[in-house]
Amino acid sequence: MAMHKGRGISAIEYPTGMNQNGDPSQAWIKMKPDGRVDVFSGTSDIGNGSKTIQSQIVADTLGVPYDWVTYDNTNTDSSPLCTGTFASRATFVAGMAVKKAAESARTKLLEIAGKELEIDPADLEVVDGEVVAKGAPQKKISVSDVAAAATWTYGELITGTGAHLNPYAPIVDPETGRVEIPPHAAISYAACAAEVEVDDETGDVRVTRLVQCFDVGTAINPTLVEGQIEGGAMQGLGLGVLESCYPYYPSVENRGGQFGAYLAPGMEDLPQVDTLIIENPSADGPYGAKGIGEMANNPQPPAIAAAVYDAIGVWITELPITPERVLRALDAKAEPRRDGKVVIFDEELSVNAVSNGGMRFEVPA
Amino acid sequence: MKAVGARLPRYDGVAHVTGRTQFVDDVRIAGTLWAKALRSPAHHADIKSLDVSKAEAMKGVLAVITWKDVPLLEYGHLSALGIPADEPLLAKDEVRYKGQPIALVAAEDEETAQAAVDAIELEVEEKPALFDVRKAFDSDAPKVHQWGNWYPHFEGEMDRRQIRKGSIDEAFDRADTIIQGVYRPAAIEHVPVETQVCQVVPEADGRLTIYSCTQALYFSMGVVAAHLQVPLNRLKFVGGTVGGGFGGKVDTATETMCSLLTLKSGRPVKWRWTREEEFLCSSTRAPWHMEIADAVTKDGWILGRKMLTLHDSGAYSRFSPYGLTKHSFHHTGAYTIPNLEFDGYVVYTNRVPTTAMRGFGVTSVSFAAETHMSRIAKELGLDPFEIRLKNANRIGDTSPNGVVYTDPSTVPTILAVADELGHELPADYRTMSSERREGEWLPEHLVGQLGNPEDH
Repeated sequence: MAMHKGRGISAIEYPTGMNQNGDPSQAWIKMKPDGRVDVFSGTSDIGNGSKTIQSQIVADTLGVPYDWVTYDNTNTDSSPLCTGTFASRATFVAGMAVKKAAESARTKLLEIAGKELEIDPADLEVVDGEVVAKGAPQKKISVSDVAAAATWTYGELITGTGAHLNPYAPIVDPETGRVEIPPHAAISYAACAAEVEVDDETGDVRVTRLVQCFDVGTAINPTLVEGQIEGGAMQGLGLGVLESCYPYYPSVENRGGQFGAYLAPGMEDLPQVDTLIIENPSADGPYGAKGIGEMANNPQPPAIAAAVYDAIGVWITELPITPERVLRALDAKAEPRRDGKVVIFDEELSVNAVSNGGMRFEVPA
Repeated sequence: MKAVGARLPRYDGVAHVTGRTQFVDDVRIAGTLWAKALRSPAHHADIKSLDVSKAEAMKGVLAVITWKDVPLLEYGHLSALGIPADEPLLAKDEVRYKGQPIALVAAEDEETAQAAVDAIELEVEEKPALFDVRKAFDSDAPKVHQWGNWYPHFEGEMDRRQIRKGSIDEAFDRADTIIQGVYRPAAIEHVPVETQVCQVVPEADGRLTIYSCTQALYFSMGVVAAHLQVPLNRLKFVGGTVGGGFGGKVDTATETMCSLLTLKSGRPVKWRWTREEEFLCSSTRAPWHMEIADAVTKDGWILGRKMLTLHDSGAYSRFSPYGLTKHSFHHTGAYTIPNLEFDGYVVYTNRVPTTAMRGFGVTSVSFAAETHMSRIAKELGLDPFEIRLKNANRIGDTSPNGVVYTDPSTVPTILAVADELGHELPADYRTMSSERREGEWLPEHLVGQLGNPEDH
């Protein structure tokens, strides 16, 4: 009876935005008479931090301090459409909508500033809350003064709207699944190593360390993206070794209807998590960002399964890798069937073993 | 001072950790009624009779709704994409999963609402149920769904999602080894701290204000408007701050039924699922059944992949056809495999309908493809980093459905992890990049995979 250590790895990719696209987001912005900025977006914040991320994008695009920005996603009377917070789209697609709205508001801001400074708006830029003449920084006016002038002198409202839509990519050939335009907004990539300890007496699998590298495009907010990656890691760990609605799937018996009967990961399960960020900017996302919210729970389960094999020499390919499955696998010590150049694992799980002939998985001879 | 790239604290962080954020359950509206649901006691049954008269007559009960009260009973999650609807908002003649809503009560307090639910007289006749997707195609399998046991409405009215690329026969013929495996990740719960909840308020002008925990305000507003057959200006969704969703709160699980109770009672109504309902009746991540056979060379090139996926959709379609399509687009994972034959089916069973969850469609195939990759490396006696690096998709490679990769990072992310672990690699792997393939990294079988340089 002993503890066995093992390590496994995985590499994954994941698309940003709805599969096949066609998922718009819209936003609008208005400026108060002192230059402070109100953003109206329909993006729900589900804990992913989209209020923060979209506010950061607006602040830099308009050229005003972050704390000038108020973000309102509270209701559908005020905020325009956002397809929703899913498909890793809130930073990229909805982020593009607020960026375009900010660009449009900035155009109006520069137009009013141009009148005040008597300079062509094309020769102006916004830097840290001031509208400045390019190449002549002594000629400037604060954004606050421009907003006041718009309100009290010119009788105008500085506002801007923006929308982003990657066009729907239809499947042009249902036989092959071929598409003719990209079916996603960007692709993100990650690699993961999992280290485990397996107790061959109790069957318990402990994940002791995760090393993960994610290409996030651009980290709009490094703290929040690390939070997504590390929170996702715990959800992936749950998928790998803890959680199941149907412990004896496909049976529906023994479902857990309370927290005491359903093992979601807790703090005691938290391994050492080492997070590495690569910034390989996307061509068309806001400031080069990609969406990585969902994929954060994808690389751990296969890395854990490989680590368990490394530790105890059995492949467990039904998740989660529970103590019961570990002990049964150790008892069975299953070997693949070898038939010529074909190596067949998991035969007992195949449709070929269970179906009464209605479905087969045949491999070319 | 730049905001982008700065480690700014969360916009709503202080409010969250000091308990001052207003979630739906924190909304207090005077005169609010409580809703409770009568749910199916059976996995699969015909409804023989449903009598709500005793519940309606109870003191403190203001409204009871059944399928008869829904202007448009069936509206699909993907109706906006032209995919037909298959799920009634409230069960009519039949129940297809345990926990399926049949009737709802709105009453002065939670206890009265539950007592009224208990007073509803329901008679069902149980039918054989199907739980194993592998048996769904057999002639003796219980019949689960009006469209058959698997979804038949993919493009061209195909009954499966297919990917075809290159020649699978040639790849398997040329292979030194063919490695097969079966992968079955489990259904899991979203486990949001905030259970499904909504509060609907009838306004004096006839509008409904709907406090919602949806992840998608406009999507859910569209769903409610469709079922109620009203224009969008009759509804105001209030939300945008969600106490955990992970995909499960795209379902619009409560808003429509709560709105119907509000319209019928003329009073504000709140419906908050218990933790037990959240675990047992809310949709889950799908369980998946995946079989992979890879044609490989002895030095670790993957020439071809044949794959069968059975996606356990539960009793209705919801987002499953979308999820399976996404799955098929990514079934080669982070690698370029030139010869492909993928068949995927959305299979109906008598379990709670499955839905979107973080990584929808791809979490499953990441597990299958990557565990399979680890097995191939072990079987061939190759380093697990090296086999991944050589097959990794590169700039100019094409995806399963013919899209050219423009900025892949498979190579640098793997190298970064190897470096962090101190895992030693030969020089030609250590210096590999994502640039367009050439030399030893452009074997004959991948020449035809390279897209036009102008496409990337």
